[in-house]
Amino acid sequence: MQTAVKIIAFANQKGGVGKTTSAVTLAHALAARGKRALLVDLDPQGHVALALGLPRQPSLYRLVVESAPLSEVAVRARPNLEIIAGDKSTEQVKRAVTLSDFRESILADLLRRSPYDVVLLDLAPSLDVLHINGLTAADFVVIPTRLDALAIDGVQELLKTMAEVARRGHAFLGYAVLPTFFERTTRETFLQIQAVGKAFGRRVWPPIPQDTRVREAPALGKTLLEYHPDCTAMRGYPENGRRVGGYWQALDRLEEVLHA
Amino acid sequence: MPDPKSRPASDRSLELDPSVQSLTEAMERRWSEASLPRRQREKLARERAKIQARKPQRATYDLPPVLRQRLKQLSDSLRVPASQLAALALLRFFQDLDSGALDLGKFKTPSRSPRYDWNLELPELYQFSERSRKTRARDS
Repeated sequence: MQTAVKIIAFANQKGGVGKTTSAVTLAHALAARGKRALLVDLDPQGHVALALGLPRQPSLYRLVVESAPLSEVAVRARPNLEIIAGDKSTEQVKRAVTLSDFRESILADLLRRSPYDVVLLDLAPSLDVLHINGLTAADFVVIPTRLDALAIDGVQELLKTMAEVARRGHAFLGYAVLPTFFERTTRETFLQIQAVGKAFGRRVWPPIPQDTRVREAPALGKTLLEYHPDCTAMRGYPENGRRVGGYWQALDRLEEVLHA
Repeated sequence: MPDPKSRPASDRSLELDPSVQSLTEAMERRWSEASLPRRQREKLARERAKIQARKPQRATYDLPPVLRQRLKQLSDSLRVPASQLAALALLRFFQDLDSGALDLGKFKTPSRSPRYDWNLELPELYQFSERSRKTRARDS
């Protein structure tokens, strides 16, 4: 049976901003809340599988280039969560896609028919045909960013690319800027969050605090939910008796998007 | 995709997410305090600690204005804190309740609220206490 799957891309043309961590954490959290989720690794580094304690695999290659059925290549990572893993063969996927007809919508065509509630795409920090494919497939784009000038430039560049994709007829539901590695004690962070808030308003989601556990979890092949669900990166900062920021709050915002 | 710079300032999307707003306000407060002289910073920290310590003692209840006014008058005339008078009144109430001197059943009426089964008819309760106050005043 065909379902109304929502496709969420995690993208920023700057690397090291927390795209994979955000995609893996939120995919697992959605699955834990009962959503059937698929996480697709579009980055040749293949870190999605590693972050979930699985080996890198040429699943994306088999899906796109060898036309293997999605049900055959999707790997069960956690209850309710399956992944299309990537590895260096993803580079060959790019070449194959470049030579195809309708090359920009290959991924969209494959994923729209998938039997999931939500598909999350972890995009590589590059501007290539697979990146455009990911954006063309996406209903909504989450843009993780560090709060420094170079990363925010990456946000602006991505928005230009999205505007280009939109001009070619693709309708996005919207986008959100997700500040990561947030350090509330530094003046630079304060100035940057003010600037980002001024530019993007409500599209700026509550930030993900800087937390060493974010680095430790993938080394053990665990998600943050498994490694430390109460860590600052998950629960945010205490502020006036409430918690502000963190992945649990980002999850709430993401669920609002899914139910919109 | 709209260019964020070209959006009008009145655009609702330019309002901040409430959590982001609260976080930036807290950061702003910290930064502005950081530039104050040491004594003022310490004073602010002491005040914050005092407010924090008083939090478990604070409660908010709806009271009939007449009771609130009476409490204030008494507080003014005796020159004692109204909170302490309210605490004393509650202590006496619980003593009466525990000893059986006060029967709440007399004041209970069914409530239509999904949250409560009963209401207390406070005006009668107040008139009763007002009468007894006047009686005591006359007798003395």
